Amino acid sequence: MKSGNRELVDRLAAEYVLGTLRGRARRRFERWLVSPQVGEIVKAWEERLAGLEPRLDKVTPPSTVWRGIENRLELRRKPVTRWLAIAASIIFVVVIGFYTARKPPAPPALAATHQALIQENAQTVYWSVELLGDNQELAMHVQSTHALEPGKALELWVLPAPEVNNGQPVSLGLLPTTGAERRALTAAQRAALVGAKQLAVSLEPSGGSPTGLPTGPVLHVAALVPVPT
Amino acid sequence: MDRNETLPPEIELAQLLQRCAAHDSAAFRTLYDKTSPILFARLLRMLRRRSVAEEALQDVYVRIWERAAQYEAGRGRALAWMVTIARYCAIDLMRRERMTLVGDDALAEVPDESAGDPLPDKPNNFDQCIGQLPEHTRNCLTLAFVEGRSHDEIARLTSNPLGSVKSWIRRGLLSLKSCLSAEGQTA
Repeated sequence: MKSGNRELVDRLAAEYVLGTLRGRARRRFERWLVSPQVGEIVKAWEERLAGLEPRLDKVTPPSTVWRGIENRLELRRKPVTRWLAIAASIIFVVVIGFYTARKPPAPPALAATHQALIQENAQTVYWSVELLGDNQELAMHVQSTHALEPGKALELWVLPAPEVNNGQPVSLGLLPTTGAERRALTAAQRAALVGAKQLAVSLEPSGGSPTGLPTGPVLHVAALVPVPT
Repeated sequence: MDRNETLPPEIELAQLLQRCAAHDSAAFRTLYDKTSPILFARLLRMLRRRSVAEEALQDVYVRIWERAAQYEAGRGRALAWMVTIARYCAIDLMRRERMTLVGDDALAEVPDESAGDPLPDKPNNFDQCIGQLPEHTRNCLTLAFVEGRSHDEIARLTSNPLGSVKSWIRRGLLSLKSCLSAEGQTA
């Protein structure tokens, strides 16, 4: 980052954290937050200004708030859906058993180690993304269709840990627009995924970014979380 | 309202957040029970209206659940991380609702300042550094950070020209940064 840029980012970060950066300027600045350098500057201001936090008496919220959160995150599944899920998995096992008995052995199945949901909000998930078998393969499943103008594509990036690739995003390729896709990862992609905690999606010309770095706006950032074993 | 109740231990909150990152909804419920009275008080302080603060509190916990994986346990600051999410949600909500808070009549909703525990993350020498700023600057920073007031609102509330408010805030932030980093080096 050039020193002039750094000063500007520092000033905007300070007012972002203080809360006086508002409206469109705030939205624009939030898009910069995917950059690890900007993230670090913001974190430093959050730590500095934490001293302004007031001491307040606690106020217990009404129970309706928790119910609202549960509904929004669908933490509580209805028993009927649970039984349907169990029935569906039994059918799945039977069908798979039938096919595997007849077909030559498939390549060994890789276990998902990490996953990310690329979503607008809890209700609208566009893609579920999984890393399989110690970052050997990437699987992407379309959950609901993302709006996309003709001549454009959506590219998936890993935001590596700050010490990897200078924290610069590394492309994981284009996201499928329908169905699902599974592909092997290159050594460079695997290296960038070690210790990474976030994926991002940017809008690019069809065929993907011509520069190797995101050129269009970053539309989504998703947490990459370990799959519980 | 509970007076002077101690804050939940940081290490416990950090562990709960890590379990949330692994989609453990029971841990999420525990985390909510332990922290929602703190975050709700903080939101009321900024949003002033109970119904709006309740809506914001939902946004806050949805975000905490979705971003738990981004919390870096090594840095500690679990409660401060959550309070920051709450402040940002409140600012977003003000924008969405186009709320103007000046001359608000719902001040009765605002929780009292207490003698309870401060958040555990105050930088060393913060009090000394903030104490060196002129009073009008300190006042502007507090109105912005604690109450979520915009430049315009601060200018109106304190009857100062907008330009002065903006430059006091800018200079105040710079002085605070250099004072805290100087103190950090000598400490």
